[in-house]
Amino acid sequence: MHDVPSRLHRRARRLILGVLGALLFGTIPSHAEEAFVTNQLSDDLTIVDLATSKPVATIPIGGKPAGVAVAADGRFAYVASPDDKAVSVIDAVARKVVGRVEVGGGPLGIAVAPDGATVYVADWYNAAIRIIDAKTLKVAGSIAVGASPSGLALTPDGKLLLSADRDDDMVSVIDPATRQRLKTVKVGTRPFGVTIDAEGKRAYTANVGSNDVSVIDLAEGREIGRIKTGLRPYAVALAQGRGFVTDQYDGTVSVFDVASLQPLKRITVGDYPEGIEATADGQRIIVANWESNILSVIDVAALKVTAEIKVGNGPRAFGAFLRR
Amino acid sequence: MRMVFGKALVATAALAIATTALTTADAHGPTRRKVQEHVEINAAPAKVWAVMGNFQDMSWLGIVDKTAGDKGNEIGATRKLTLKGGATVDEELYKYDAEKMSYSYRITAVDVKVLPVTNYSSTIAVTPSADGKGSVVEWTGAFYRGFPNNDPPPELSDEAAVNAVTGLYKDGLEGLKKKVESGS
Repeated sequence: MHDVPSRLHRRARRLILGVLGALLFGTIPSHAEEAFVTNQLSDDLTIVDLATSKPVATIPIGGKPAGVAVAADGRFAYVASPDDKAVSVIDAVARKVVGRVEVGGGPLGIAVAPDGATVYVADWYNAAIRIIDAKTLKVAGSIAVGASPSGLALTPDGKLLLSADRDDDMVSVIDPATRQRLKTVKVGTRPFGVTIDAEGKRAYTANVGSNDVSVIDLAEGREIGRIKTGLRPYAVALAQGRGFVTDQYDGTVSVFDVASLQPLKRITVGDYPEGIEATADGQRIIVANWESNILSVIDVAALKVTAEIKVGNGPRAFGAFLRR
Repeated sequence: MRMVFGKALVATAALAIATTALTTADAHGPTRRKVQEHVEINAAPAKVWAVMGNFQDMSWLGIVDKTAGDKGNEIGATRKLTLKGGATVDEELYKYDAEKMSYSYRITAVDVKVLPVTNYSSTIAVTPSADGKGSVVEWTGAFYRGFPNNDPPPELSDEAAVNAVTGLYKDGLEGLKKKVESGS
């Protein structure tokens, strides 16, 4: 009996020390969650504070920026500008461009390794992924993939890199350590965005040509399911056991159940919805609407749009655009 | 419209490259462009919609010689526009809302010499004007340039695509205004 209060006391002390440690060592984010939105037609990037739903900065980029990837630790964001054949490095805290990497070709899809050390950029024209060393900001190598690689994604452990090879109707599965393609997986017609779940078990591609989503089992290395969407699906987000797909031509987000792979609902958003991602807590889905120049915020529990936020012209936000 | 037809005179070398590259299904450049044009018309929206709301009748667009198609105004309806001079444009309806007086369609086949765009989709809609006395017709387009690869020749660049679509919409909306206001 005497031990119970002291044990509770010890536990409480450990908890307090743990929280203090987390604060000191930065494992609890000190910033509000933000969206880094590439505005392809106004040639800039809007940073939106997702706590207040207000734009807080606009950063000129140039070269028709489309792809964007925020590093897991939130320190840097990387933006791909196909017309400039370059990747811009943005200091996410200072909110300014601090570096630029000339990659050639047509850089579009972009992803950062979970450890932040490497950035991968899809070259839309040359069926290759360029590897950028995040320290030196130099191109450190190249990986051959299928035609018109677009979306890129890494598993949370960083052991697999996926490339949606749009004009070959397949996904390339790559070992980033050896830079070798391990296999290719046939999916629907013209996969564009690719998203991997938090467990690193499944990947989902939005197939622009066949108006559906392909579900890939990563261990088995094959497509295990197909879900119908609206017209011209662009990308997929995942939250609370549901998938959310932007239907460009329909101006909707198609919602499906991840367990049953059945469609659940269509939510009307702005015109030409494109980039889509879930907030860290999985409570909200953020959608960039290319034609309407707004972000739509969807409440995951209610499956309703709860806010709209004005951004620049032609927002695409293609990639992991949330600083979480 | 002259602008669009001017593209027919474009030099052939660059186009040969573009045509080869286009054999990859729906390949396109990296940047989708948008054009929005509108016109005010001195007539009620319903009267304007009566002229422009039939997907199978593009006679209000001056460059069009003939419209022929299937399935009326149903989703998935198709039409072939034959232009003065003989070129054709194939289009498909993917949204139609008579209540909102708006429809959306995409081009399924067009030569970049006729209109230097790819992956073109468009919405045309009529709403009451701000003063409530007339109408505003808005025509919006989303499309990629005619050249699907890097470093396009000038006649198939983003700018050429935007200029061609802007010219088409301006001429088309002026034509529509004239037709409705003259009551013909």
